[in-house]
Amino acid sequence: MQSIEYFEVECPEPLGAEYYKQITNDVLLDHNLIRVIHKLHIYVDPGVPIFVAVGVLHKITSLVRVRDFAAVNPLAGKIVLVLANETYLAPMLKIFLERFGQDHVEQTDRFTVVLRDVSVDAREVEDIIVAHPSESVYKDLIYAFKCIAPEGFRIRREQYTKDKFFFVASEDPLTDEVDALVRSKFARMGEVMA
Amino acid sequence: MIFVPVTYRGGVYRHNEVVDLIEDIGGYIVQKQVIASDVVLLCFVPKDDVEQLRSFAKPLGGEVIDSPLVGTEIAVVIPSLEIHHLPHPACDIAEYLRRLGAKSNMVGLARGVGKRIAALNDEERDVINEHDIAVYVLGNFEKCIEHKMPILRRGIEVPIVLCGAPDKEALQRITDPPVEGYVGNVGRFMHRTKESEELAKMDEIIAEITKVLDTKRVSIAKDPISVSPARLMDLIKEHVPEIHDVTSPTPLTVQMNGLRVKLPYDTFAGQIRSIEIEDGVKIGDVSDLTPSRMRDYILIRIRPFSETNIVV
Repeated sequence: MQSIEYFEVECPEPLGAEYYKQITNDVLLDHNLIRVIHKLHIYVDPGVPIFVAVGVLHKITSLVRVRDFAAVNPLAGKIVLVLANETYLAPMLKIFLERFGQDHVEQTDRFTVVLRDVSVDAREVEDIIVAHPSESVYKDLIYAFKCIAPEGFRIRREQYTKDKFFFVASEDPLTDEVDALVRSKFARMGEVMA
Repeated sequence: MIFVPVTYRGGVYRHNEVVDLIEDIGGYIVQKQVIASDVVLLCFVPKDDVEQLRSFAKPLGGEVIDSPLVGTEIAVVIPSLEIHHLPHPACDIAEYLRRLGAKSNMVGLARGVGKRIAALNDEERDVINEHDIAVYVLGNFEKCIEHKMPILRRGIEVPIVLCGAPDKEALQRITDPPVEGYVGNVGRFMHRTKESEELAKMDEIIAEITKVLDTKRVSIAKDPISVSPARLMDLIKEHVPEIHDVTSPTPLTVQMNGLRVKLPYDTFAGQIRSIEIEDGVKIGDVSDLTPSRMRDYILIRIRPFSETNIVV
């Protein structure tokens, strides 16, 4: 987890902390969220019971453009796009169909899309913005922490600002003391929750 | 005659001769799997004839392996069927058991999660009790396991093997009354078991299950069952042709002291009860046929010699 500057799991049971560190690592890797998180502190206490995750995010400025995942080859009367992966295929096709119309867009196989008789050049196609990862990162983070948190902890509270977030879950109703707990966990990382 | 559970692995070529030999020496094939050009036969063969089968299989490029889990049905009990437990570690354990010949079923509890809200309902309890052994795969915290285990084992009569993240000594300390087997350092994790130490842990689970099954076998041997479950399986295959139309991988699931028949109880129970085993002794005379809590299957529990005074 090289890109995370600070990553700690705090738990009264040392073995439990070790397992939760591994689970967090696996889940964040699976969801491609490792690069998004800058600092992360997790506190689990099965005795209370409570699960708190507080974190600081990297600044997400990048937009996903066609050139990031596809090679755009201009040929006579058509532009052939060869995709390196399918992650953004669906949103890209949606944009193409809206912009160029169904008659001009053809997907010949899983990784190849052909644009016929379109009025734009290859450079313009390369620059088309397909996705804004920052829009979905909040949903992805919450989903990931739902997987990480102990399963019976179904009462949740989460907050997400521009570069910080917290996720609290418990089996019992959450009290006002949770706010102080979240603040103290941010303080452990040398941060202040806005 | 003492039967030994073994697995034959070999090619498709001339495997029919192996099947014939197993039948000729009085053995039973519990399950036959043909995977591309490979054949896996899970079977029971008489103890004295294992070497004969082994030497017969050698020139065919096949191998005969001792498989203590063949002929057992094992419940892998997990707190829920959510992503927290599936596919890792629950599926990994169930799959590992299957590879070694056991019939494993996963029992995901409806309300097994949490500490305060965890519960076991009557259907889950009955389904678990229909198995030979239950493997409880719980989580990472000692405190939770200590609190939940008495609730999740309420009414369970089959031997239990408890898996959890705390080490074996801690599991033994927090489980009161003790269960039959413990495997520590197997808690909730979210990655596939493929590292060598993780596979060693799987082997440890198998070893613990085998130990518990051996204890159960010894207790069954003290008061032997009236007929071998594998023999009943063969008889039902012979007399109830509808069983061949069942698409389940194991239409007849052999257990240590019984059999699960995957046919509707109302339609077939009477017919199965009246099948004659030998010298006028019918299946109904030496066993109890009950509706299973699993779908509408039939569960056959073979009665011990002390109850029937018959061994066929």
